[in-house]
Amino acid sequence: MSEISGKVLKHDTQTRSMHWVHLIGFLILALTGIAFYWDLIGISNIFGGPANASLVHRWAGVIFTAGPTIYILLNFERFAKFIDTISHFTKDDFAWLKTMGGYIPFIKVDKAPPQDKYNAGQKILGGLIIVGCLLVILTGFPMWLWRHTLPAAFLAMCYNIHFWTAIIMILLICGHFFLAAIHPKSRIEFASMMLDGYVDAEITSHHNEKWFNALQKVE
Amino acid sequence: MSTVSTTGIITVSNECKACDHCTFICPTGAISGKLGEKHHIELKKCINCGQCLINCPFGAIEDYSMVNEVKAALADPKKFVVVQEAPAVRVALGEEFGLAPGTNVKNKMYAALRKLGFDKVYDTEFTADLTIMEEGTELIHRVFNALGVEGFENSGPLPQFTSCCPAWIKYAEDKYPHVLPHISSAKSPQQMFGPVAKTYLPEKLNINPADITVVSVMPCTAKKYECDRPEFMSSGFKDVDYVVTTRELAQMIKDAGIDFLNLSDEKADKLIGLSTGAATIFGATGGVMEAALRTAYELLSGQTLDKVDFKAVRGLAPVREATVEIPVKALGKALPVNVCIVTGLKHVDTVIEDVLAGRSNYHFIEVMNCPGGCINGGGQPIRRDTY
Amino acid sequence: MSIFTEKDGITRRQFFKGAGMLAFTAVVAGVFAKVGVDVFAASDDYIQKRAEGLYTLDEQMAIRKSHENPEILQIYKDFLSPGEIKPVSEKAHHLLHTRYGKDIPGLIEELATHHDAA
Repeated sequence: MSEISGKVLKHDTQTRSMHWVHLIGFLILALTGIAFYWDLIGISNIFGGPANASLVHRWAGVIFTAGPTIYILLNFERFAKFIDTISHFTKDDFAWLKTMGGYIPFIKVDKAPPQDKYNAGQKILGGLIIVGCLLVILTGFPMWLWRHTLPAAFLAMCYNIHFWTAIIMILLICGHFFLAAIHPKSRIEFASMMLDGYVDAEITSHHNEKWFNALQKVE
Repeated sequence: MSTVSTTGIITVSNECKACDHCTFICPTGAISGKLGEKHHIELKKCINCGQCLINCPFGAIEDYSMVNEVKAALADPKKFVVVQEAPAVRVALGEEFGLAPGTNVKNKMYAALRKLGFDKVYDTEFTADLTIMEEGTELIHRVFNALGVEGFENSGPLPQFTSCCPAWIKYAEDKYPHVLPHISSAKSPQQMFGPVAKTYLPEKLNINPADITVVSVMPCTAKKYECDRPEFMSSGFKDVDYVVTTRELAQMIKDAGIDFLNLSDEKADKLIGLSTGAATIFGATGGVMEAALRTAYELLSGQTLDKVDFKAVRGLAPVREATVEIPVKALGKALPVNVCIVTGLKHVDTVIEDVLAGRSNYHFIEVMNCPGGCINGGGQPIRRDTY
Repeated sequence: MSIFTEKDGITRRQFFKGAGMLAFTAVVAGVFAKVGVDVFAASDDYIQKRAEGLYTLDEQMAIRKSHENPEILQIYKDFLSPGEIKPVSEKAHHLLHTRYGKDIPGLIEELATHHDAA
């Protein structure tokens, strides 16, 4: 590997802000949601009892919806590029998935296949999160706004979809958190989303080789 | 009995997901709780209609069950257990066995009840006819009184409200005590059946009235409350002992291992089991009105109706009104009878306020708590049709 | 130290994929709304069907008027108003009529004395 020095701007300020808003919204929603479903009064009481926890849940839902929506409207180009990246699967991605990019301890990998800005796992996560958000948002608002008029059958369907989607999303986010903040191989990129947005160019050049090759250098 | 008066017929179980759907379903605002906190039914305001129960997305609302008492009575050889079934039960019971809504299973129902061990299988439709005779006559008396005909001075005021719906009765007692003189003093068909079964039957069949247990199968949870009201003891005993809902009957049939769909058709027992079409339509909104009109028209005019259908009173709109010209023989002129049908207690308030303020020109007002009438009662099979 | 950034600009493919995603979102929301409207429209159909079931049964009945029910005529003649058909007779009033609200305690008392006497 050639010597590469410098830094790569991976996520700009707006992206990082949106990620933070979405993250905080998600945490509040997940906590209160779990409290409702399993009747955990202890958690509800943090938010001031079940009725207030529900109020917090609903308005956190508004933020959870508004955050990405505003972001997409302001940054359509970035959004379009993101969608293009995560929906573009090549041989390298499938090869990466076969070995799970070397993140699984008992699969030995000498060199993982070259990846885009997001590796195949992140691509799948991105797709699932988009679909999951769509489902929880689409089922969540009727449960709040039209709870009185909608028929019981439809409400029950909304609750079921909302619950199962939320459970899957919570599990996904746990995995995402583990890889982004705990796993030693990948936590080196932590700062790129959570703090200043930069990653060491050297790391990028072999974690996201294809993407790195297409970058421009500014002094 | 004590259970009913202390906890009520309808209770929210711990399964409540706090979705807040029921607070809008409840016609009296008896359900408290915000979105997110477990809901609670206020016993004082609850009219036991069970609409919240059949509309709960999670099946988290339960009704007080008398099934065990019924089973014990059936197992007791000393008890002479007779059963009555409301009109609305026969077009909905089949749904619990996979049939389409509206399928008439009346004859299989009689057969199933005999298999369950009831000594006599009668029909609430008989007392529905009896209700029409009593309530219709009462209406005629009230109309004559209002017209100044002599001999009817003891009759109540017009308009007359129907009295078949126990949820409506409790609502009127709780919220509009001034409208009570307007409500027909005739008991509901269920409560007419009790005293008839405990006085007329012993005379005819030569049995001891103390041994008779009257069970009714109702599409309704408020009927459970009604049968426990203390004044219903005109036979000298508790008039109607136990009430089971359509759902509970279906469960009893399943528990007994009866192959319901392959039962042969049977008829109700004689004496107080014969019914007419007028009684059958009691189960739908406007049905009591139509049945009353058929009888009132013929009795007042002395003529035979060539078309018995009064289509104007049918439908599912919450408030409907119609005017029927009846040529009254005793008066020698035609009398326009203005009728009104209310289904869904949420819509009754304006009608009552008009009556109390003297603005109402109706003669007869039918009130049913459940939207669509008893066929959509709180004891009926729960449907989750999506398309 | 050198800084690397993404190049500006967007390719046709990227644009269509981004726009396509938004269109997909709109379609999913639309389908969901359609399901909601359909369920709403169909949710009360069973009431109509049960009502039709009762009216059909009514048309199939041999007797369709209450006052022509022979067992009703019999109970009046034999029991409620012996010898004649007279609704709201004294016995009918005792057995088949009730009172409401604040009149109930009086009714209970009357019934109790009636049964004691009998």
